[in-house]
Amino acid sequence: MQPVQKLSSQRSPTTGLLFGLIITLVAVLAYASYITVQLSGLRRLQSDMVDRNRKDSLQLLRIQNDLNSIALAMRDMLDAAEPYPLTAWSAQFDRIHTDLDAALKLEEKFAGANRTPEQRLYLDQSLAQFWDAVNRMFALATAAQEAEAREQIRLTLQARQQALSTAVSRLLVENNEGEEQAAARIAHIYDSVQRQLYLFLAATLIAIVLTSLYLIRANRQIFARLAELSEQRSDLAQKLISTQESTLRHISRELHDEFGQVLTAIGAMLGRAGNQAPEGSALRADLQEVREIAQSTLDNIRSLSQALHPVLLEEAGLESTLDWYIPTVERQTGIRLHYEKSGQSFPVDTSVGVHLYRIVQEALNNVSRHAGVTEAWVRLKFLPHALELEVQDHGKGFVSANTPNGDTPRGIGLVGMRERAELIGATLEISHPTQGGTLLRLKIPQDKLQTHAA
Amino acid sequence: MKRRQFVAAVGGLALNAAFAPRNLFGAPPASLGFSFSDVTAAAGIQFQHNSGAFGGKFLPETLGSGCAFLDYDNDGWQDVLLVNGMDWPGHKRQKSTLHLYRNNRNGSFTDVTRAAGLDIEMYGMGVAVGDYNNDGFPDIFISCVGQSHLFRNNGDGKFTDVTRAAGFLSHEGFSTSALWIDYDRDGLLDLFVCNYVRWSPEHDVFCSLDGTHKSYCTPEAYRGNTCWLFHNRGDGTFEDVTATSGIFDSSSKSLGVAMFDYDQDGWPDLLVANDTQPNKLYRNLRNGKFKDVAVEAGLAFSTEGKARAGMGVDTGDFNNSGRPGVAITNFDNEMIGLYRAVSATAYDDISQASGIGGPSKNTLGFGCAFLDVNLDGFLDLAVANGHIDETVRNIRGNVGYAQPPQLFLNAGNGKFRDVAAEVDGGFEKSKVGRGLAYGDFDGDGDVDILMTTNNGPAYLFRNDQSSGNRSIRFRLIGTKSNRDAIGACVRIFYNGQTQSRLVHGGSSYLSQSELPVTFGLAQRDRIDRVTIDWPSGRNEEFKDLAAGRYQCTESKGIKPMPQ
Repeated sequence: MQPVQKLSSQRSPTTGLLFGLIITLVAVLAYASYITVQLSGLRRLQSDMVDRNRKDSLQLLRIQNDLNSIALAMRDMLDAAEPYPLTAWSAQFDRIHTDLDAALKLEEKFAGANRTPEQRLYLDQSLAQFWDAVNRMFALATAAQEAEAREQIRLTLQARQQALSTAVSRLLVENNEGEEQAAARIAHIYDSVQRQLYLFLAATLIAIVLTSLYLIRANRQIFARLAELSEQRSDLAQKLISTQESTLRHISRELHDEFGQVLTAIGAMLGRAGNQAPEGSALRADLQEVREIAQSTLDNIRSLSQALHPVLLEEAGLESTLDWYIPTVERQTGIRLHYEKSGQSFPVDTSVGVHLYRIVQEALNNVSRHAGVTEAWVRLKFLPHALELEVQDHGKGFVSANTPNGDTPRGIGLVGMRERAELIGATLEISHPTQGGTLLRLKIPQDKLQTHAA
Repeated sequence: MKRRQFVAAVGGLALNAAFAPRNLFGAPPASLGFSFSDVTAAAGIQFQHNSGAFGGKFLPETLGSGCAFLDYDNDGWQDVLLVNGMDWPGHKRQKSTLHLYRNNRNGSFTDVTRAAGLDIEMYGMGVAVGDYNNDGFPDIFISCVGQSHLFRNNGDGKFTDVTRAAGFLSHEGFSTSALWIDYDRDGLLDLFVCNYVRWSPEHDVFCSLDGTHKSYCTPEAYRGNTCWLFHNRGDGTFEDVTATSGIFDSSSKSLGVAMFDYDQDGWPDLLVANDTQPNKLYRNLRNGKFKDVAVEAGLAFSTEGKARAGMGVDTGDFNNSGRPGVAITNFDNEMIGLYRAVSATAYDDISQASGIGGPSKNTLGFGCAFLDVNLDGFLDLAVANGHIDETVRNIRGNVGYAQPPQLFLNAGNGKFRDVAAEVDGGFEKSKVGRGLAYGDFDGDGDVDILMTTNNGPAYLFRNDQSSGNRSIRFRLIGTKSNRDAIGACVRIFYNGQTQSRLVHGGSSYLSQSELPVTFGLAQRDRIDRVTIDWPSGRNEEFKDLAAGRYQCTESKGIKPMPQ
């Protein structure tokens, strides 16, 4: 057992727990902000780079498709398989031109910072030159210079178309590379977030384990301290009870022996003195009155002595004491007490009997004060190896000691009963049967009835 | 539901199933108010399409051929023309020609091909019927793989091949659908011809699904080809205005064409369905030129921005809004495109919402036509389906080579329901459908359906009304306008409601329906008035007409025709 001073000097675990909570909260906040930053970075990367890139690539594909359509149309024009003049293709070229312009406008919007001014300039100039050449070709065709127009297609337009197509292909490749780079960066972000997540999880786990260990240790200490305090309190209570009993016994004996003897002697002397006084004299009457007062005082003294410590216990044992006590209570309280005894009686040591007597006393006191009944039962059972004592009523019942009202006198009474039971090695049960009321049952093994010393 | 009720319900279901094995979950046929009968054999139409397939897997074999309702003898009764292919050079086994059947006016037909002078072998694909010389007798253009043919109707039951005289001789291609249109409104029908791809037996490409055996190529394997527009000079000759009119487009792979006035300016525009290429909407600029505005109009691509495999096309005022809508059949897995006019010049694809998209997801549609099959006053949509690949079932389990045709009934609230399985006559039986045309061949006031199949028979389905619904039909004869009145817009008004029809050739796929227009009136027996906007610009109005048949001659009034 640890000394009380050491226990009380130990710190409360609240500070430690609070500290742990703050650290955990800080860690969660730090991680949440880290994740938020990473997520917004990802979103930026995805919407600003990947999505734009993809949209841009789609427009580049559209441009490439238009350029391919132009290439096919030019091949048809050179094949001369159609019976139509080259001018027939102008509507087709116009359609492609319109679509190409629309696609380029969108492409420029999506390309953004991906495109260098040189690339933009090259694309714009190449296309302008291409359409100039197309217009020249159609001008030649309109002027019925079909051969020259075809020559223009062969020498200029096809080369320009191919150069444009190559340029667009290069842009597509660049976009793909950009997309790959973005994908790599995204993968890197995912990796680091994953790493950080594992770290965070590990740290959280460690914090939880440490806190749990700390809590378990603190808990154990608290329980140990509680047990110790309870033991101390019990010791104290028992000492108190013992002291109280011995004091009461002493007072009772003094009252009974000393005052009793004196008053008895006074009574006898007064009787004798009265006999000597003349019959019918005032003196004789006075002496008789004094003698009655002395007798009454003697009765009161004896009664008080009995109440403080029934001498009967030591002289006649528990059973006889209860035989005397229960009718007395019945008389005093007006509650009808059914006193039942069973089994082969055996002697009970006075040091034990006094506690049993006190418990019955307290129980009947509770019945009369709180149960609000007109009858109760007291059962004394001499079992083969134990003694069982029951006090039962059908009243309102009473609140057990560990309720919020446990600090009431009744509570103290219950505590006292428990302490006494514990002191003599008995078990005390207080139950509330379904039919109502309270049943107090005390059971003590036979071997404890003889050996225990108060 | 309590157990007893459940047992009763199941028992009832079983009883229904026993006594009405068909249409278990649909309405009984009688509730449709009409039914079909397959009268092909009874009508004396014994036709077998010859694709010329010999194992060489030539691309044109998968696509033919078309059909037409026409009144070639001008007797007021619709005759039938069925286009045919032929054996490929070097693989000659039989002689096959197109067939012309004269209507005997008693439900039967007589094969008059030889008498008409049409028993000429050619690899025919489509047909366009129009009185290009305004002599009162419809002439026939047969689009072919190779040299197409123009047959002038002599008016005596005979035709003369005027291909050379008309100036078509130098034009050879893989021609598909064609239509007569007076695009410059000079009173003379001009000719628009679709071309598919640059293909000839000599330049056939080897395609294979398994790497060993030859299979039919997809159009991607071939270069596109421009459609042709021929201007009618009025002297029996035609001028190729493809280049000067802005129609020229060497990337097109066209299969279907329809005319309609999409911008409501009174000048006919052209809608061309392209296979794996954007569709083209040629807006008539009123100066002999056209401009493709399909992208702006929302008709070039699918809603996903993809160029689909457009096959057949038709236009019609299916929601009675006064603005024609559009239907385009596509490849399997692509749905039929059903477009509704949402503004003066823009369309929305409402296929999915209308209930046509879902059922057409796993079909390959070819011929299609808006027609009021139940005469309830709302245009319905008939579709001929059939795949091009005989082995498609091995690749796509839920798509067959032969496929059931579809008949989408218009509920009038923007919703359509396929009732093909409920109309009887074997209409719903799987076929390798291609051409589809409608016409009232039996003169009972409703429209009957003619359908062709690839390398198979043709079908004539007679439509019989049981609901008592009536119709009003108008046959228009132009005087200042072209004699067939192609391009005339007819509107009827009754009880605050309006319906409109455009007199048109072409549409569908390789086919042409009858020129008279039919309006369903449901149980009504009169209309308040009819207005006719003639291609010449003349507007006429006639009031208080009873249901029935009418003939209206431009500037000369209207007269009922005997039933």
